[in-house]
Amino acid sequence: MKVQVLEWNAVASWHWDLKVDDSGVADELCGICRVPFDGTCPSCKYPGTDCPLILGDGCTHNFHLHCILKWLEQDTSKGLCPMCRQVFVYKRIKNMGTSEELHNLQVLIEGHKAMRERENEENEFDSFEDDVRMTD
Amino acid sequence: MSRVKRIAKELEECKQDSHSGVSLKLNNETDLTHLTGVFKGPPGTPYEGGNFQVDINVPSEYPFKPPQMKFITKIYHPNISSVTGAICLDILKDAWSPILTLKSSLISLQSLLQSPEPDDPQDAEVAKHYLSDKKGFNDTAAYWTKIYASDVDAGQAELSDSALYGIDNDIVVQFENMGFPRDKTIEVLRRMGIKNLNSVSNKSETENKILEELLKECQ
Repeated sequence: MKVQVLEWNAVASWHWDLKVDDSGVADELCGICRVPFDGTCPSCKYPGTDCPLILGDGCTHNFHLHCILKWLEQDTSKGLCPMCRQVFVYKRIKNMGTSEELHNLQVLIEGHKAMRERENEENEFDSFEDDVRMTD
Repeated sequence: MSRVKRIAKELEECKQDSHSGVSLKLNNETDLTHLTGVFKGPPGTPYEGGNFQVDINVPSEYPFKPPQMKFITKIYHPNISSVTGAICLDILKDAWSPILTLKSSLISLQSLLQSPEPDDPQDAEVAKHYLSDKKGFNDTAAYWTKIYASDVDAGQAELSDSALYGIDNDIVVQFENMGFPRDKTIEVLRRMGIKNLNSVSNKSETENKILEELLKECQ
């Protein structure tokens, strides 16, 4: 029997390679927009490198880069991970996101850090004042 | 745009989940940003047996800003205004996180009914009642649940104006018998923050003070 191939279409599928968390299950949804990681954040059209993921470093929580950016833009976020409320830091991975977006993320994280340090200083100053009053 | 997509997803998830005892519905089929949430009063509390309705307004920055919620059903609770239904709960303010949902917020409200925080009150009068007379508070809260949050027609339950404010009926009757109108007596007692005379040490002095106020009121 001879088979003649008239036409063929190549199909490829892809999947973000996510580390599983402590419980052994990988979270498939971005906790912020509730869209699967393999889909895009609500403001993007095409999934993939244009709408990358950001992996938490320290905590194991992952988000769409655009989602976590929007969250950290809020003063009320205090720079914390939405899931576990630890200070959010991210893993640096090559070729993820445009350098501009990563730069913005870094600026936001540093801004929150500076804010926290300023608050701590003010608190120390308050307790210093209390000490002075005590000795009066 | 992200707001509408997320709310649609949340509504769908909430519909499929029947055992949490929390339900969400749209006020208007074409508007996904105004909803009403309903949940049951937790068992073992004065809110047991009640169905509580919450008005939900979703801001355009959702889920980065919390949804605005307030009680539609009148409720007697230290962290909820007995007049406006405004709620004092940290996750609806500065402790909000975008991973929280409308459903999880309603569940948090349910647990707020279970464990009030009288030290951080929304309704100072109710909180004072809670701290000074737990039993009286429970009775009043249960009474409000029966009158405002039960499926039973409110007209069937006997409406008592004194119980509504947690005021002992005996003391109202005592002044009514002296010839003062009932509504004025309750108004004066509410203003003075007096709910009963059993726990008062100088009973006759307090009675005289009430009398004085009533005379002023009824001039």
